[in-house]
Amino acid sequence: MDRIAGQTGYLILNEEGAVVSSAGDLENDEKTAETIMGLVNITSMVDQKAFGSDESFKKISLTYENHCYIICLSNRRIHVVKKNLDKLAVNA
Amino acid sequence: MEKPLERVMEEILNTTDVFGCVFADHQGLCLGVKGRASTESAGVIGAIAEEASKLEPNSRPPVIVLESENKMCIIQRNGTITGAIYKLI
Repeated sequence: MDRIAGQTGYLILNEEGAVVSSAGDLENDEKTAETIMGLVNITSMVDQKAFGSDESFKKISLTYENHCYIICLSNRRIHVVKKNLDKLAVNA
Repeated sequence: MEKPLERVMEEILNTTDVFGCVFADHQGLCLGVKGRASTESAGVIGAIAEEASKLEPNSRPPVIVLESENKMCIIQRNGTITGAIYKLI
């Protein structure tokens, strides 16, 4: 996680939303963890007509003016990375 | 108000790879829907934008992108209106 270019912090959460590992801007950031869990939980309810019930989202990104959060589900853990967008493409 | 929104939705749907769009008000009620999208999803779209805005309450609302294997859902809140665009990757 530390080697991701432009990252300023990360969070790794388990399925219950508890912080397993964290660093940088997101170090022990329980509030961010809680909001992200809330977000991950509602995304499963997005439009069944467009996405179908068997289709799940693999990546969620929240893009602000100068930074972004990228959320991925892998190995039953929720990985969250906060990245700076300066000099980086928005969808890098 | 419905006429301009209708026109905007028509324009959005004419964009390459876009197959649906939904607009919700601040209560999550559907303002308009076009393409392969349901009016019922307006509430969820509004709720996602609301939840995301809690992350950094002092910043402008973020652009939220949800990606599945071959489709994506782009959500952004602007004032009291939340819009979602469904697109093929």
